[in-house]
Amino acid sequence: MINLQYFRLSLFALAFLLIAPTVHAQKTPNQMLYAVVQKMSKVKDYSAEANIRSDIPMIRILPVNAKVYFKQKDKFKVESTGIVLLPKQGFNDFYKIISDSTTYTAVLTGQEKILGVPVQVINIIPALDTSDLILAKLWIDAANNLVLKSQLTTRTNGTMLIEYTYGAQKTYGLPDKLVFTVDVKKFKIPKGVATDLNKPAAPKPSTGKTKNGQIFINLTNYKVNAGVSDAIFKK
Amino acid sequence: MFWKSTYNEFIKIAAKPRSYIGLAAISALVSVILFAMKVDGKTYISFITSSFEQTLTFEGDILNGDLIAFIILQMLIIHVPLLVALVTGDLVSGEAAMGSLRMLATKPISRSSLLMSKFLAGGAYTLVILLWLGFMALGVGHILFGSGDLMVLNSDGLVILQNADLAWRFLGGFGVAYLALLTIATLSITLSCFSDNSIGPIVTTMAIILFFTIIGTLDVPVFDNIRPFLFTSHMIAWRSFFEEPFPIETIQQSVIILVVHIVVLIGVALFKFNKKDILS
Amino acid sequence: MSDKIIEVKQLAKYYGKFKAVEDVSFDVYPGDVFGFLGPNGAGKSTTIRTMLSLITPTSGETRLFGRDLAHHRSYILSRIGCIVEKPDFYKYLSAQKNLEIFGRISGASITRSKIGEMLEFVGLKGREKDKVAGFSHGMKQRLGIAQTLLHDPELIILDEPTTGLDPQGIIDIRNLILQLKNERNKTVVLSSHILSEIELIANRMVIINKGRSLVQGSVSELLNNQELIVRIELDDLQKALQVMSDRWPQLEIEATGPNSLLIHLSHEIIPQVNNSLSAAGVNVFAIESKRKLEDYFLKLVKN
Repeated sequence: MINLQYFRLSLFALAFLLIAPTVHAQKTPNQMLYAVVQKMSKVKDYSAEANIRSDIPMIRILPVNAKVYFKQKDKFKVESTGIVLLPKQGFNDFYKIISDSTTYTAVLTGQEKILGVPVQVINIIPALDTSDLILAKLWIDAANNLVLKSQLTTRTNGTMLIEYTYGAQKTYGLPDKLVFTVDVKKFKIPKGVATDLNKPAAPKPSTGKTKNGQIFINLTNYKVNAGVSDAIFKK
Repeated sequence: MFWKSTYNEFIKIAAKPRSYIGLAAISALVSVILFAMKVDGKTYISFITSSFEQTLTFEGDILNGDLIAFIILQMLIIHVPLLVALVTGDLVSGEAAMGSLRMLATKPISRSSLLMSKFLAGGAYTLVILLWLGFMALGVGHILFGSGDLMVLNSDGLVILQNADLAWRFLGGFGVAYLALLTIATLSITLSCFSDNSIGPIVTTMAIILFFTIIGTLDVPVFDNIRPFLFTSHMIAWRSFFEEPFPIETIQQSVIILVVHIVVLIGVALFKFNKKDILS
Repeated sequence: MSDKIIEVKQLAKYYGKFKAVEDVSFDVYPGDVFGFLGPNGAGKSTTIRTMLSLITPTSGETRLFGRDLAHHRSYILSRIGCIVEKPDFYKYLSAQKNLEIFGRISGASITRSKIGEMLEFVGLKGREKDKVAGFSHGMKQRLGIAQTLLHDPELIILDEPTTGLDPQGIIDIRNLILQLKNERNKTVVLSSHILSEIELIANRMVIINKGRSLVQGSVSELLNNQELIVRIELDDLQKALQVMSDRWPQLEIEATGPNSLLIHLSHEIIPQVNNSLSAAGVNVFAIESKRKLEDYFLKLVKN
């Protein structure tokens, strides 16, 4: 009797283990996105130390230290003593996009692996034709409700690919590292302004090939939900 | 006797009304640029960064005193040679025209000492002009706009230099700019030894600068071999101090070329001045 | 060691084919007021400029204070004060500042009090602070002389110092030069085309023409060796002519008016002429020797 009970329990456990992933996989894209939004909503405000390094053709800038501030719903500020080069699209633009599910349609397009972690690839198509966003693509670690990669295509800013790496703040969905990949094909030097007359002109970039640049941002020393004054965002 | 003669030359330069034209012109020009930048500097900056701004944004205080100083240097360093030549081109020929050269040359001072004292005084005047430009650009610029990182647009891209890194760059840049202006001063004094009138050497100096600048900028292969040796090709060598990575070899080459020009020109001037019959 | 203060030997200066100076030689002794005469374009300025190392000679030798100019330039120039053509100062500076500038490189230590003393000597006391731009030609000339004397030179060379001056200015300069010789024991070389000035103040002279020196020597000796031209003003012209032709038939005599004669004669017979005319009842009102240096000079230059 006891052996049969044990056998049934084992069978049940085995079935559960087999089914559980498929139960997760069977979450709808909207549900996955909702879970991410729920996680990130726990953050009312945060501040962090940022180290920003750029590797962009035609731009030379040394790594810069800055301080990053965020406050719900969409207040964001980067403070530095010097000039900081940042991507036009912010750290968590995708959050703004996915937080209102009525403004888009989410479509699951497949599964991939990023550094061994299985991710669900979701396309987000805006509901309105007139919106600035053309298409958003998110690679979501559904098990942890974390976005590992995002690709946003907008009318004004083109396409930006962002890769996220998480550490101590993964419970809040706050990354330790972001890598922005930008398209630099349209970058050009305006002639006649601040150029050196006697230097031979730089060789023109080869046409037809997309050239990319990258911005690496490391975030440390997070202070989450510790309170951030509104005055910081007014400076 | 050489130092006494040099002291004399300082007195003469300081007493001549035309010596203050350069200082007044710089003051006026820099004031105009500062005013324009104060009123509409952001438009100027957006013109530089516009092509990058589709995908990138520049945060921080871009329009600061260091950028203003750089812009001022860039605009005026082409025109300052005229202000320098206006005084240095007159040092020998102006005295010949006035007749005082005749009186100087009958004193028990060698012609070489007399001429070298003029070179030294001309060099000092050039330094004063550049220091004044530096004060107006950097000093007043910092007072009005504060300091910060410097964004420089070069022919091969944008460079953003951190504020802590700027002091030695500006110092070096001014140093090389001084060498370039000293070359102009030396050229004008040398030409002054060949003339007995005041205007000729000044106009000839500017004509030579113009001529060499045109050869330097013409994208024609036949001039490729001589272009690196023209002093005008190195007149904006000071800009190299605001490049990253720091082009030490380019700067060294420019310094050598300019120094060689100065030495050769002084040699020519000494030869001419010692042999010259003073008939004025 | 030579006792001459200046020795110029066979000096020549050519500008291409043009011979500004061809063969000029003369000597100047200490204490001389030496006249340097010649018509315009004779080569006076070129010679003076060569002596002051403003011009490099084509050939010839110039020695001052017993030393060769080419190799002892600083030593020589420290002992010379000069004005070449006209003194040109820095118009935008004051008289005092100008003297300070030239005094600083004159080879001697020049103090403010020395400058004041010189300005007083040349009659410019009280004008120290005035800019030279406001000076008249005569004042600039006097300032030029102050400049030559600042370092107390032994030799003073003045090239046409009275050019452009009014009669009072000419007298002032003449008196200054005599003062320099008599009171300060200076040797003065004076180039001028105003022959009467040379005759009045120079003791030795050289005459040059077309780049060559013609004669040099003591003024009085050169002139006394020559025939004089004497003008006599009298009342009875006919009687005077008769007396002269009877007594001195060889003399060249010319009636220049109803009451005056021009006679070419030697210096020592003037008293005899005067006595003879008086004895014949002719009243003599004036006897003057007319432009002797000028005529001597013109004769020399023409030949």
